[in-house]
Amino acid sequence: MKDLIIQGLQQAYQNLVHMISVFLPRLVAMLLIMLAGLFVALLMKYLLRLILRFTQLNRLSEESGASQVLRNAALPTISELLTRSLFWVTWLAFTLVGLSVLGIPELHEQISRLFQLLPEVFVAILILFVGVLAANFLSRAALLAAVNAGFRSPRLWSGSTRFVILILAISMALEQIGLANQTVTSAFSIVFGACMFALAIAFGLGGRDLARQTLERYLGDNRKRDKEKEKEEEPSPL
Amino acid sequence: MAEETLLSDDFLRQLMGVGEVDLMVGIPTHNNAQTIGATVAVVEESFRQNFTRDRVVIVNVDGGSRDGTPDEVLKSITETHPSLRGLTSLRTIHRITTRYTGGPSPGGALRSILAAADLVRAKACAVISPQSPGLDTNVVKNLLQPAYRENFDFVAPLYSRHKFEGLLARLVLYPMTRALFGRGIRELHSTDFGFSGKLATQCLGEDVWGEDPVRKSPEIWMVISAIASGLNCGQTFLGPKVQPATTSGTDIVTAIRETVGALFWCLESHQDFWTRVANPEPVPTFGPDHELTTDTVRINRKRIYELFQKGVTDLSPILKTILTDQTRTEVERIAALDERNCRIENQLWVTVVLEFATAYHHNVMNRDHLLQSFVPLYRGRMYSFLAEHHSSTPDEIEKDTEKLCLEFERQKPYLLETWKAK
Repeated sequence: MKDLIIQGLQQAYQNLVHMISVFLPRLVAMLLIMLAGLFVALLMKYLLRLILRFTQLNRLSEESGASQVLRNAALPTISELLTRSLFWVTWLAFTLVGLSVLGIPELHEQISRLFQLLPEVFVAILILFVGVLAANFLSRAALLAAVNAGFRSPRLWSGSTRFVILILAISMALEQIGLANQTVTSAFSIVFGACMFALAIAFGLGGRDLARQTLERYLGDNRKRDKEKEKEEEPSPL
Repeated sequence: MAEETLLSDDFLRQLMGVGEVDLMVGIPTHNNAQTIGATVAVVEESFRQNFTRDRVVIVNVDGGSRDGTPDEVLKSITETHPSLRGLTSLRTIHRITTRYTGGPSPGGALRSILAAADLVRAKACAVISPQSPGLDTNVVKNLLQPAYRENFDFVAPLYSRHKFEGLLARLVLYPMTRALFGRGIRELHSTDFGFSGKLATQCLGEDVWGEDPVRKSPEIWMVISAIASGLNCGQTFLGPKVQPATTSGTDIVTAIRETVGALFWCLESHQDFWTRVANPEPVPTFGPDHELTTDTVRINRKRIYELFQKGVTDLSPILKTILTDQTRTEVERIAALDERNCRIENQLWVTVVLEFATAYHHNVMNRDHLLQSFVPLYRGRMYSFLAEHHSSTPDEIEKDTEKLCLEFERQKPYLLETWKAK
């Protein structure tokens, strides 16, 4: 009995030693890979920062209104955002490779899944980011055009533009990561269709007179009179 | 080198056939078949009357007309005055036409005209628009003569106008140019102007022709370049400016984009010059310096006021990124006042213009959006001007313009400070 216990303990000890002797080099390998990853990530961050400084991305970002969006969201400049993203993506990739060296099958499987999903998530974030930029830029353009043309509800035009573009961007991003593909597409189609239908009904019923006047203005005899009226509004600037 | 790529072989052949000339008139066209014949006839008549012994050429640069404008240029030579060609003048009056590449644009047209002037070594040139309704032989003479006989390098036109016309020039372009660049050119933006061969060659060599402000309003860049290079600039009175007294709202947006945008751009491209200029100097003028008429015109002041008020309210978040808090608060306070009390005074107006110029320089947002944001504020100032000078005499208006110029000069240090701040 006593021998059996001692033998069992010896076996357990040998197994532990064996496991440690197998695991320790892997752990060291993982740490080395992570360390190498850190260096590579830092190097890439530095190189990208140099390239972006050369291409004057920050100036373009200011002009397009992207910087304004980032400031509103309490985020750093676009170059800083891109360099930081590259750093973390690179280091995360090295870390995951390092973890796979440990040789734990379950972990390996999860890492593989994460690796498969990573590009999709990255693209989805990119789509969202571009969508926010486009929504911001175009809604401002719509606001300015509506204000200067003297439209009654410029903010409505601007808000509608922003809403439609953001909805489109969100639905595209969700579709990219494969989240409820059909639900998102259907929801978008229904919401967009409903908006257009509501607008059509509102304009057709509520604004019958306005519709008639608009059509007459562009197609009928009122065109000339309308131009004459417009001419009385403001003196020639030049 | 520039001419090799700019001018087509056929155009070069025509220019070489003409040889060296003393005077050149460039006429940029795009679908102007109805008016080009009369324009060319007036220019030729002016040559016959005023420059009998000089070698002259008329160059038409076309932006791709589909109504046969270039044909009209050549056709009218025989059909309108078949018996006059080269008879009253001691020399042959050459007419040549070409089509420039890159689509119709004032910048593209002017570049071709400059290249032609450079090639034929013209001593003096004028650009005449085929859409100038008040064109007569004196206009051509008055634009060419200062550059040809008086050694001026740029000759800007001066017109007799209604007191409420050309307010963008009166309220922004003229006083700002005078205060910052030290030369008060009243008609900074014009389709008719004169220049020397020297300035043509200098401008042709500049690498700016792809820039949007130069493509849209090359004459603004050209006159600012002439001032910045220390060249001799003058103004010549051409008579009444015949144009519709009023225009639609869309034109104001376009006008601001093209002129204020070009001036702001010139502030950047010539910042080494204007930051050093101390005191403005008078610009030599041929004829009266200004002439205003006071006929009654129908202007909807109430609508201008409403557009200003609503524009300031709706664009508040955008104005926040362009103007300082103090200026924006003051603008918003004035916009909230009723029609009788709503006035943007000179001091606030100048601060607004200079802060817009600074914001343009610092790229706080898309530049086209920034210029569009300027429109409601310009309407506010225009409303103030219309209300204030409803029954003013031309002299009173001129005094007010002088005060505005002095206010721009007074606030120039503020611009210098904010310009270099970022």
